[in-house]
Amino acid sequence: MKKLICIACPVGCHLLVDDQLHVEGNKCIRGEKYAIEELTHPTRILTTTIKTTSVTTPRLSVKTKDPIPKELIFDVLHLLEGLIIDKDVKIGDVVIHDILNTGIDLVATKSVTINPFH
Amino acid sequence: MYDYVIIGAGIVGTNIARELSRYKANILVLEKENDAANHQTVANSAIIHSGHDPKENTLKAKLCVEGNILYETMEKELNIPILRTGAFVVAHDRNEEDMLDQLYQRALNNGVKEILFHDQSQAQQIEPNLADDITKVLSLPSTKVTYPWEVAFACLENAIHNGVTFKKNSRVTNIVKTEDFFNVEINDAEIIQTKSIISAAGIFSDQVAYLLEENVPYQIFPRKGEYFVLDRKAKGFINHVIYPLPTKKGKGVLIIPQVHGNILLGPTSQLQDEKDLLSNTRDGLNQIKNDLHTLAKNIPFNLIIRTFAGIRASSSYEDFYIQESKEFSNFFHVAGIDSPGLTAAPAIAKYLVNQLVDKHHLKENINFDPIRPKKTVFYKLNFEEQLALIKKDPRYGNLVCKCEKITETEIVEAIHGPLGNDTIKGIKKRARAGSGLCQGGYCEQTVLKIIARETNQPINKINYYGLNTPILVQETKVKP
Amino acid sequence: MKKDLVIIGGGAAGLAAALSANHPNIHILVIEREKSLGGILNQCIHNGFGLHVFKEELTGPEYADRYLEAFLKLNIEFLLDTTVVDVKKTDDFELTVTSYETGLFKINSKAVILSSGCYERTRGSIAIPGERPKGIMPAGSAQRYLNIDGYLVGKRIFILGSGDIGLIMARRMTLEGAKVLGVAEIMPYSNGLTRNIVQCLNDYDIPLYLSHTVTNVIGKERLEQITIQEVDSNFNPIEHTEKIFDVDTLLLSVGLVPDISLFDSLDFKRDPITKSAVVNQFYETSVSGLFICGNALHVHDLVDYVSIESEKAGKSAQNYILNDRKQSNHLHTIKFNENIRYIVPQLIDFEHLEANIDLSFRVSKKMEAAVFKIIQNGTEIMTKRAKNLAPAEMEKMSLKIDKLIDDSPITLLLEEVSL
Repeated sequence: MKKLICIACPVGCHLLVDDQLHVEGNKCIRGEKYAIEELTHPTRILTTTIKTTSVTTPRLSVKTKDPIPKELIFDVLHLLEGLIIDKDVKIGDVVIHDILNTGIDLVATKSVTINPFH
Repeated sequence: MYDYVIIGAGIVGTNIARELSRYKANILVLEKENDAANHQTVANSAIIHSGHDPKENTLKAKLCVEGNILYETMEKELNIPILRTGAFVVAHDRNEEDMLDQLYQRALNNGVKEILFHDQSQAQQIEPNLADDITKVLSLPSTKVTYPWEVAFACLENAIHNGVTFKKNSRVTNIVKTEDFFNVEINDAEIIQTKSIISAAGIFSDQVAYLLEENVPYQIFPRKGEYFVLDRKAKGFINHVIYPLPTKKGKGVLIIPQVHGNILLGPTSQLQDEKDLLSNTRDGLNQIKNDLHTLAKNIPFNLIIRTFAGIRASSSYEDFYIQESKEFSNFFHVAGIDSPGLTAAPAIAKYLVNQLVDKHHLKENINFDPIRPKKTVFYKLNFEEQLALIKKDPRYGNLVCKCEKITETEIVEAIHGPLGNDTIKGIKKRARAGSGLCQGGYCEQTVLKIIARETNQPINKINYYGLNTPILVQETKVKP
Repeated sequence: MKKDLVIIGGGAAGLAAALSANHPNIHILVIEREKSLGGILNQCIHNGFGLHVFKEELTGPEYADRYLEAFLKLNIEFLLDTTVVDVKKTDDFELTVTSYETGLFKINSKAVILSSGCYERTRGSIAIPGERPKGIMPAGSAQRYLNIDGYLVGKRIFILGSGDIGLIMARRMTLEGAKVLGVAEIMPYSNGLTRNIVQCLNDYDIPLYLSHTVTNVIGKERLEQITIQEVDSNFNPIEHTEKIFDVDTLLLSVGLVPDISLFDSLDFKRDPITKSAVVNQFYETSVSGLFICGNALHVHDLVDYVSIESEKAGKSAQNYILNDRKQSNHLHTIKFNENIRYIVPQLIDFEHLEANIDLSFRVSKKMEAAVFKIIQNGTEIMTKRAKNLAPAEMEKMSLKIDKLIDDSPITLLLEEVSL
C-alpha cells in the first residue's frame, strides 16, 4: 500500500494505492489519474540553471518544456555540468533539443547577452 | 629585536600601543584573530562610565574616572563617535533610595565631579518611559557611550601611523626568556625577539601568562553577558543609560542608547567554564525581558534586530591586575580588565606606560602625531557637502547598505584603510554595512563583490570573518 | 527633475502599476535599485507563476518578462542601479535619489507608488539561541547566491520554516549537490503549497518536522551543529525532544516584512498586522498621493495577485493625477471578526465608490469549510461559501458596490461551517 497526497487541486486528498493500482481516498477522478501516473510514470518539470560566460548574468535559468521522467532528473543535471553558454540566448530559445531522448527540449527562461558592449 | 611586544589588539592593547608610540621604541602588536578588536571589545555595553560603581581606592575606580576624562581628548584627536547620554541609577523604594545615597557617596569618593538626584516627577519628565514605580534617580551626567571597536581601530590606526607594527593571525604559542630578551613563538613556528612583553590578552590573559610563568597570580573566570539589540527606529524611547542598583553579580541589566541610534538591552551575568562559548540562551534572553520592567515601560521589543553575547575577563584578583611579573622582569600583566575596562582603557595605557617610561628611560617621539583624521560618513553630511564629494568620487553615489545608508566609497575605504580588512564582518565593523534592519540580507552580496574586486580575489574566496569561512562554498554547474 | 508619478521599485508590482498608470499626459519614472528590472522574480527560477493572469504555468523570470516586454514597448522612463534615499512631502513629494551614474539629485513628483517589496526576517529578530557562526542565512539570500551568482552557500543544510521559499530552496540545494537534512516548522502544519511538500520534500526524502523549532546553534567560526526541539501549543520547547543535526548551513524561511522604512518620516497610518500602511480601496495611504501595492503593502503568496492589485494602484494614481481625486473624509474602517487576520484595503472611501472593491484577506486558522458574510447596517449584503481556507493562502472577495445599501461601515464575518 502506497500513501500519496494528490496535488491536482488545493484539496490535497490523501490517497492510498495498492499493488493493483486501485486508488482510494480521492474525491474526484483527477486524483485517481494522478495516483496512477505518480506510481507508474512519475514526471516532473525541471527548472535549473546553466553557467554562462556573461559577467552580468553568470547563470542562465532554464526549464524542461514539459515534464520529464522523474528518474532522469539527476541525469539531466549531470549533463549540464561543465556546459557553458557563450552565445546570446533569448527567452524561449531551445538550449538542448530532445534532452536525453525524452523528446522534450530544455529551454531558456530568461535572455542573456554575453557581450553587452557590442 | 623589538622593544615591546603587545599581546592582544583589543581596546586595552590598542590603547597601550598608541600611548607607547608617543615614545621612541620599536613596538609590535600581535593579535591571534583575523582582525583587531574581537572578543570583549566587540561585545560590551559601550558605556564610558562615570565611576560611581567601582569600589573606592581600587585601580578600577581611579582609572575609570581618569579614563572618562581622557575620552574627551580622544574624541577630538581620534575622531571617535561619543554620545553624551548621561545616566540614571534608579530606585523604587526607601531601601533602594538609601543605596542610592551610598552610591552617591562612593561616586564622590572616587572623584566623580558631576552628580545629582532627581525625584520621581523630574525623572519622569526627562525620561517619560521610565517605569512608573521608580521613586528617585541618581543622575550621572558624565556617563557617555561610544563605539568600542571603532575606538580600538582608531587607537591602532594612530599607533600604526606613529610607527607601530601590527600582525594579525598571530597566536602566541610559547614564550621563553633568555638573558636579556624574550623569544616569542607565534603560531608554533615563527620566533620574534623582544626586550619586553605587555600581555593584554583579555580572557586568555592567564593562558598567555602560563606560557612563561610558573605561578600566574590570577585566574580568569569567564562571565557571559547576553544582550538584545534594538533597531535605530527605537531611538528616543530612552535617552539616558539606565542602571538598576548594582548587586554582587554586577551592574545588572541596563538600557543603553548607542551612538548610531540603536539601543542595547542587557547584559546578563553568568559564570561559565568555557572562555569561548558565546551563545545566547532562552533563559538569558528571558531574564533580560523580565528585569527590564523595573526600569522602563513601553519597551519596543518588536524592534529587536539582533542578540549577542560577550565574555567578561573577570578575575580572581577582583581589581585590574596591572603589574610587572614577579618571576620575570619586563613581562607586564594587564589582566582582569572587565568592567569598567572600556572606560579605563586610555587611563590603563597611561598608567602602564608611565611606569615603562620611568623604568626604561624612554625618550619622547617628537614626530608623534596624535590625530587620526575624521572618517567621512556620507549620510551625516548635508546635501551641498554630499554633492561636492560625489563630484570627486562618484562611488559615493552608489548606496550599498540601504538600511544604514552606507556608500561604496566608505566600504572601499574600509577595505584599503591602514587597518583594512577583507571580510564581511570586518567591513561591517568598520563601515557598518549590514548592521541595520535587514542585517545584511540585502547588502551582503554587494559587499562581497566589492571586496573581491578591490582585493583581486574570486568571490568564493571572500570570508565571513575568520580565515576559513568563505560565504560561497561551492560553484554549481562545473564538472566535479 | 519634475515628474507626475514616481514608482519606487521595478519588480512585479512596479511594472504592473506602471502599465496601468501609463497615459500620454503623465510623466512616469520607475526607479529600480538593482541593475535590471524584474525584482525578486529574477531569482525565482521555479515554476508556478501566472496561472491566474496568463492561464499558463511560468517560471519567475518568464512572468517578469511578460510584463517587461509590455513595459519596454511603452517607453516609460526608468532608472536602474538607483536608490531613493529620502522622501519629503509638502505640496508634492520631494525624493532624494542616488546612483553611481547620475550622482545625488532630487525629484519632485505629484504622486508616488511604493512598490518596494519585502525584506526577510533574520535570525536576530526571532532571537534563535546559540552561537553566532557563519552559515546562518535567510533562504532568499541563499537563493540569490545560487540562482544568480551560481554558488552553494553550504553542503549540509537544515531549513527553518516550511513556507514555500523554504521548500523551494530544499529542492534547489538538493538538485545542485547539497544534502538537505530536514525542514523544521514551528506550526503544526506547513505553510507551503501541498505541491511543494510533495515535489520539494517527499521527492528527495527530506523530513519535515512539524511543531519544531531551532533551539541551539553550535559553531565558533563556521556552523557545525543545530538542535531542534518539539514545541507545545504555546510554542515553548518541550524537554527531551532534542534532535541534533551536523550541518554547515541553516537557512531561514521565517517570514517577510514590507520594506517601507524609507517612508517612516512621512507618518502615515499603519496596520500593525500587515506591518505596512493603511490604505483605502484605491491603495492610497493617509498621505495624499502616496500609493502602496504588492509586497510592500502586504506579503503575498501569488505574484498574480500582486499584479492585479498593482494594476489597480496604478490606475488609482493615474486618476489622482489627471482628475485630482483626493481622499475624502468619509472613510470607514472595514470591521472583521477573529477568524480573519487582516484585510486590505483597511478603509473604504464612501465618497468615491467607482468600481467594485477587491478585498484581500487572510484567515486566522485553517478551516475546511466556511461562509463569508458582508454585513452592512445589520443586513447581510453578500455571502460566499469557501473551502480549504488556510492562513498561508490569501483569499479574495469582490465587494460589488451596487450591493451596498448605504454609506455606513461594513463588516466582514467569516464563520466556520461543517462540510
